[in-house]
Amino acid sequence: MVRNLLVALALASAGAPLAAAPLSVRVVDASGRPVRDAVVTLYPTGPAARPARPGGRFVISQQNLQFHPFLTIIPVGGDVSFPNFDPTKHHVYSFSAAKKFELKLFAKDQSRTVHFDRPGVVALGCNIHDQMSAFIVVTDSAWTARTNAQGMVMFGDAPNASGRIVVWHPYLRAPGGELQQALGPAQRSASFQVRLRPPPAMPMQDY
Amino acid sequence: MGCVARRLRNRGAIPLGCALAALWATPGSADSGLKLFTPDAFELSGDVRLVAVDGEKSWVDGGFGKLRSGSNGDLRVQPQLGNVSLVWKPQFTWSLGAIVVGMAEGGQRTEAGLSQAYLTFRPMRSKKVAFSGRAGLMWPPVSLEHEGADWHVKDSITPSAINSWIGEEVRPVAAEATLSANLGDHKLRATGALFAANDTSGTLLTFRGWALHDRTTLAFHHQPLPPLDSDLAGYQAPFTHPLLDVEPGFARRPGYYAKLVWQPPVPVRIELFRYDNRANPEAVTSQLEWGWRTSFDHVGLVADLGSGAQLRAQGLQGRTEMGFREGGARWVNNRFRSAYVSLTRPFGSVHLSARVDAFDTRNRGSDVGDEYDDTGWSAMLAARREWPHFTGLIELLHVSSRRENRSDVGLDARQNQTQLQAEVRMHW
Repeated sequence: MVRNLLVALALASAGAPLAAAPLSVRVVDASGRPVRDAVVTLYPTGPAARPARPGGRFVISQQNLQFHPFLTIIPVGGDVSFPNFDPTKHHVYSFSAAKKFELKLFAKDQSRTVHFDRPGVVALGCNIHDQMSAFIVVTDSAWTARTNAQGMVMFGDAPNASGRIVVWHPYLRAPGGELQQALGPAQRSASFQVRLRPPPAMPMQDY
Repeated sequence: MGCVARRLRNRGAIPLGCALAALWATPGSADSGLKLFTPDAFELSGDVRLVAVDGEKSWVDGGFGKLRSGSNGDLRVQPQLGNVSLVWKPQFTWSLGAIVVGMAEGGQRTEAGLSQAYLTFRPMRSKKVAFSGRAGLMWPPVSLEHEGADWHVKDSITPSAINSWIGEEVRPVAAEATLSANLGDHKLRATGALFAANDTSGTLLTFRGWALHDRTTLAFHHQPLPPLDSDLAGYQAPFTHPLLDVEPGFARRPGYYAKLVWQPPVPVRIELFRYDNRANPEAVTSQLEWGWRTSFDHVGLVADLGSGAQLRAQGLQGRTEMGFREGGARWVNNRFRSAYVSLTRPFGSVHLSARVDAFDTRNRGSDVGDEYDDTGWSAMLAARREWPHFTGLIELLHVSSRRENRSDVGLDARQNQTQLQAEVRMHW
C-alpha cells in the first residue's frame, strides 16, 4: 500500500502530461483581407506555459540599402549578427526598450553580433539611410509564429489549456502596437481583425 | 574676375590644403572612420550625346536660345561631350565627411572646374529627432529632378526651367542645418541655411530669360549674357559670375533659405522653400557686376501613383531688383515665375517620362522694361534604360518662347526650337 501511495505521489508530482490540441489563429484587416507577417504568440496559463528554447544564431544583413529580412522572430537569449554587404557604411541603431544599441558597420563584410536577453519588439533603423527599417520580435513563449499569405498560423503542438493570444504587426494601429484575446479552455481557433497603417511610402530625398 | 573672387578662393584654399596634408599624414584605421583615398571614396561619371537641334543660337554662344545647343535656323546634328564629374567623398570621422565634385562640361563651349565642395555632418540621432548639417559650396535643396553627389538629372537629359536656373545662377556658399522628426504617422523635415556669394542671381533671368539645359555654373566661372543695348552696356558687364559677393569682404550681408518638407501617411511629399539673398541692389564691382536683390518662394510635390509611376511638380515665383531708384522703380524690377508637371512610369526595363513646363518674366524696371519680358512653354518626352554602370537616354524637347528684344539681333520675337538627343551615361 505504501508503494501504491508512493507511485501515486510520483505521478501527481510529475503532473499529468497535457495532450496537444492544435490551435489555429487567423488575422484579417478591416476589409476582411488576410494579413501576412503578423506575429502571433500564445501564452497558455499556468503549468502549460513553456518558454522558447533560448539561444540560437540569426542573421540580419544590409544589402541594397535595406535590411534583410524585414521581420525576424528570435527567442530570449538569441544572438543576431548584422553583416554589411553594401559598398556603403551603415549605422544600425535601436531605441526600443527591449534592446537599445548602435552599431557602426563599415562597408563590405564587416559584421557585429548583438545578444538579445529581454522579450519585446526591437525596431531597427539606419542613421545614414532613413528608408531602412526592420523588426526583431524577441519572444519568451514556445508558441510564436508569423501568419502566412492566408493570414493563418497553426500551432500544431499547442497545449490543451486556456491562455491568451497576442498579435503584433509593425503597422498595427492599436495601443502598444499589439492586440490581445483570451483563449478559452476548449477554444481551438481564434480570429483577429486589425487596423493597419499604410506602409512607409517614399524615402525623403537625401541631402 | 575681380579681387573679391580671388579673396574668396584664397580664404578657402589654404586652410583646406593644410587640413588635407595633415590628414594624409595621419594613418587611417577602420575603427576611427577615417577614409580618404580608398577606391570607394571616388565616383566617376560622364556622358556623351548625339544632339540634333534647330532654331536660334544658344545663350551659351551669346544668343537668346534657351537650350544648351543651338543653330542658325537649319537642323544641326553633332556628337558632343556632355558632363563629366569626378566625386571625392572622404570621411574624416564617422559623422563628419565631405563631398568635392570636379566637373568638365562640353558642347558649344568646353570648360572644367569645381562644381561643389562642402562638409557633411550627421551625428547619431536621438529617439525623436535627427540632425544633419552641410556647409560649403553646394546646390540648395530645390530640385526634384536631380539626384546623386554629382547632381545629375535622373529621368531625362534636360531639367525643367526652374531647375536649370538653380543650376546656373543659384550658387550660394551656405551653412545649412536640417532637423527631421516623426509626428505620429507624419514625417517632417525642416532646413535652414545662411549663405553668401550669390549676389548676382537674377542676372541671366532678366537679360536672357529662362532656359532649359544641364550646363551648371562652375565655381568662379562666368556665364555670357546676350547682347545688351548701349545704355545698359554702359553700366552692366556682358557676363555674370553667379558665385560672387559684390560687397567687399565675404558674407557682409548674408542671405538665407528655408525649407519645410511634409510627408503625410500617404505616398505624397510636399516641399516648401523660400530664398532671399538680401543683396544690396545698389552695390557694384569694378567689373560692372551688380548686386541683385533676389527672393523667391517655391513649392514642390512628389506623388507615387502606383505601378512605379511617379508624378512630380514644382512651382516658383520670385522677384529680383537691381540698380538705383529712378521715378519709383529700380533700373531692374523683374517678377519671374515658372512651373512644371512631369510624369514618369516604368514599362518593363524602360522608364518613360513626359513633362510640360511654363515660364515668364515681367520686367517693370525704370531701365529694363517689358521688351525684356520672356514668356514661353516647353514639352519634353524621354526614355531611359539602365544597365550596370551604363544608362541610355533619348529625349525630345520642344520650347517656344516670346521675347521682344530678340529683334536686337534680327530675330522674330517668337522663336520655336526642337531638340532630339541620344545619350550614353557611364558611372563608376
